[in-house]
Amino acid sequence: MSSDREVMGDGGSALTTARTGLRRSRPVILGVIVLAVILLVNLLSGPEEDSRPLSPGNAAPPGARAVAEVLAAEGVDVERVDSYDDALASLEAGPATLFLHDPQQYLSSSQVEELIVLADRAVLAAPGERQLAGLGDDFAPVGAVPLELAGDAPTVAAGCTDGDATAAGTLTAGGTAYSGAVECFPVTVEDGGGDAAGDATGGLYTTNSDGSVAVLGAPSILSNAAVTDAGNAALALRALGSSPTLVWYEPTGADVVATGEGIDPRTLLPPWVDPLLLWLLACAVLAMLWRGRRMGPLATEPLPVVVRAAETAEGRARLYQDSRAVGHAAATLRAACLARMARRLRVDRGASAAEVIDAAARHSGRPRTDLEQRLLHLPTTNHELVLWAQDILDLEKEITPS
Amino acid sequence: MVITGRLVLLALLGVVPVIVYPGATSILLWALLLAAAVGLDLALAASPRRVGIRRTLPDGVRLGEACASVVVLRNDTPRTLRATVREAWQPSAGAVDPEQSVVVPAGEARRLTLRLRPKRRGILRVETVTVRSAGPLGMAARQVTVPAPGVLRVLPPFNSKRHLPSKLRRLRELDGRAAVQIRGAGTEFDSLRDYVRGDDVRSIDWRATARRRDTVVRTWRPERDRRVVVVLDTSRTSAARVLDEPRLDTGIEAALLLSVLAERGGDRVHFLAYDRRLRARVDSTAKGNLLASLVTAMAPLEAELIEADWSRVPAQVRAVSPHRSLVVLLTSLDAGSVEEGLLPALPGLTERHVVVVASVRDPRLEEMGADRSTAAATFRAAAAERSLLDRAAVAQQIRLLGAEVVDAAPADLPPLLADAYIRLKATGRL
Repeated sequence: MSSDREVMGDGGSALTTARTGLRRSRPVILGVIVLAVILLVNLLSGPEEDSRPLSPGNAAPPGARAVAEVLAAEGVDVERVDSYDDALASLEAGPATLFLHDPQQYLSSSQVEELIVLADRAVLAAPGERQLAGLGDDFAPVGAVPLELAGDAPTVAAGCTDGDATAAGTLTAGGTAYSGAVECFPVTVEDGGGDAAGDATGGLYTTNSDGSVAVLGAPSILSNAAVTDAGNAALALRALGSSPTLVWYEPTGADVVATGEGIDPRTLLPPWVDPLLLWLLACAVLAMLWRGRRMGPLATEPLPVVVRAAETAEGRARLYQDSRAVGHAAATLRAACLARMARRLRVDRGASAAEVIDAAARHSGRPRTDLEQRLLHLPTTNHELVLWAQDILDLEKEITPS
Repeated sequence: MVITGRLVLLALLGVVPVIVYPGATSILLWALLLAAAVGLDLALAASPRRVGIRRTLPDGVRLGEACASVVVLRNDTPRTLRATVREAWQPSAGAVDPEQSVVVPAGEARRLTLRLRPKRRGILRVETVTVRSAGPLGMAARQVTVPAPGVLRVLPPFNSKRHLPSKLRRLRELDGRAAVQIRGAGTEFDSLRDYVRGDDVRSIDWRATARRRDTVVRTWRPERDRRVVVVLDTSRTSAARVLDEPRLDTGIEAALLLSVLAERGGDRVHFLAYDRRLRARVDSTAKGNLLASLVTAMAPLEAELIEADWSRVPAQVRAVSPHRSLVVLLTSLDAGSVEEGLLPALPGLTERHVVVVASVRDPRLEEMGADRSTAAATFRAAAAERSLLDRAAVAQQIRLLGAEVVDAAPADLPPLLADAYIRLKATGRL
């Protein structure tokens, strides 16, 4: 029996253990810090970045900062609002033009109607059919303006008596054509039938009879990219700049009015459910800490190499089979069979096959030709090989019973 | 720091106040209670850093036998130690109960017995002992992993020991035989005895008969004080497994049986484990237990994944035994490696010594050779027969170079090698 000396402690203290643990988890802590910083930066800088199309603060090609800046330079007070209540308040404050850009159609028709009533003049950028329903001026979308063959937006002439439209002259934009009291920049929209009978015409800029409500079917004329084309700028500035104040309203999801009085299912639960879930989560974390702590480090096992001795023979067998070496396999089997018989029959090791067969014939009393025919015949197919191999094995057992 | 299941249970009990008084207050109060319990427990737990650990291990244990690692824990703190102790033995040490709980009063010591049943021959290690000291409430514990290395030497099992009595009896029967039956160059004169009917008349010592006036025959005894050099090949070919045992282990069994038999037969035994360099060497000396030193030297042997260098074996043999001796090479007869390694080196050995080449044959090859049920099996049979034929050819080449060949299945190799030794001794060829 060997007895080692006594060991006590790991040479450290609780403080060093804590320090080591801290040092070990440094990568994790660093990762968490980096993640938090990235998250924070994203949250802080998120609202400043404006990449929405036709936003007056967006200087990118789809934005509409150019129009807003020019209007501001001309003395128009551009007020940018993004909630329904703010919009109402701004419109009530004084004579103002409303520009409503609601591509997601958050507002209902009654909200749109209310806004229009308050505004001196309203320009609706590509409103939905539902939103137009309450206006009563038989505004209606006709269809998308077909593009020209090259894929460019078509250039359309004013073709109406509206002052803003005639000042602009021509318009280059794609969008939706609307029908209304005064249809400017008329385009023909095919209904897909192929003949002219089903086609309808509509205007890209449609106003009601007194010109207080205008539907701009091609809001892209306001974008920084397209505002300088044809008469786009003229129409944009004249349509939006007629009042001292322009209320540029882009509704958000918060402006959606709930249609039904639904019941929040959370109000049906007893008050202790939320704290209970929180507490059970804490318990789960504790249980994980309890089960996840190991009793010391893992022990390592130096594993031996496992090589099966018969593996080379198996590999050679697969080579034989893949290359269909029937003759070769048969020759080997016969050689092994003859070698065993020679040893059992005490024939000289260097004896030829004929001599072994002679000895086998003498020993077993079988006709030599029969043995010769069975042993020296070589198979050519797999099927023959199997039968022949079994046959010579039987023969060997008969001649030299063990 | 470690928390226990008891703390988790206490935390789950907190469900009751959280339901009865919903709100942040009850949660915070219960969390405070838990923190207080953990803090109290940690403060009152005996420091695991002040626990003395002394381990006692046996020098060696034979494979297949159980042994115990005895750990004495001495509590050097003024508090009672409620400890869970784990010894980090490598898995093949077969620790039955690696984690044990013990309570050690202040200033006292307790003994823990860890039962081991090793599953592999070789040097098994334990690096650390982990002590987890729980507080009086059993809610939290302090844990320290103490580096306390230990080594257990697992010796080869020597299963072939069961053949030893019968082989020794056969060896003893050689004593006192009349000379003619075993006439050979190396037999030695032993003693004279009275003629009994049946003795060969050629062994009558006429001079002694004349003196005694009674017919006296000479008797002979087998030669003694010969040298037996056992060379165990530890190169890559010894790693191959035959019947779920590496060739190396079968070779160790055969070497053990032969060495013990030869030592009892009065011969001097030298054991070498060799691949490209000497891995182990044991010489039987006048004093000391040969078997014990052999198993101790063989325990750490592992198959090295390199080719054996047979060209230097004659020099190694000459270094241990300059005289004519019986050289037993325990290796494998794989065609290819033998033709390039062993065969060129054999003449250097056979010109001075009697050489026996012993090898493990894979019984699986014969099974494969007899199975001819399908095309795939027949091709396998052909490949197996090819291997056996190659093996036979290599064995024949070795015989032509003047060495004996013992080629047998793992279970038969040790007794057959012992038989070969007895046969050589009986015919006086040593």
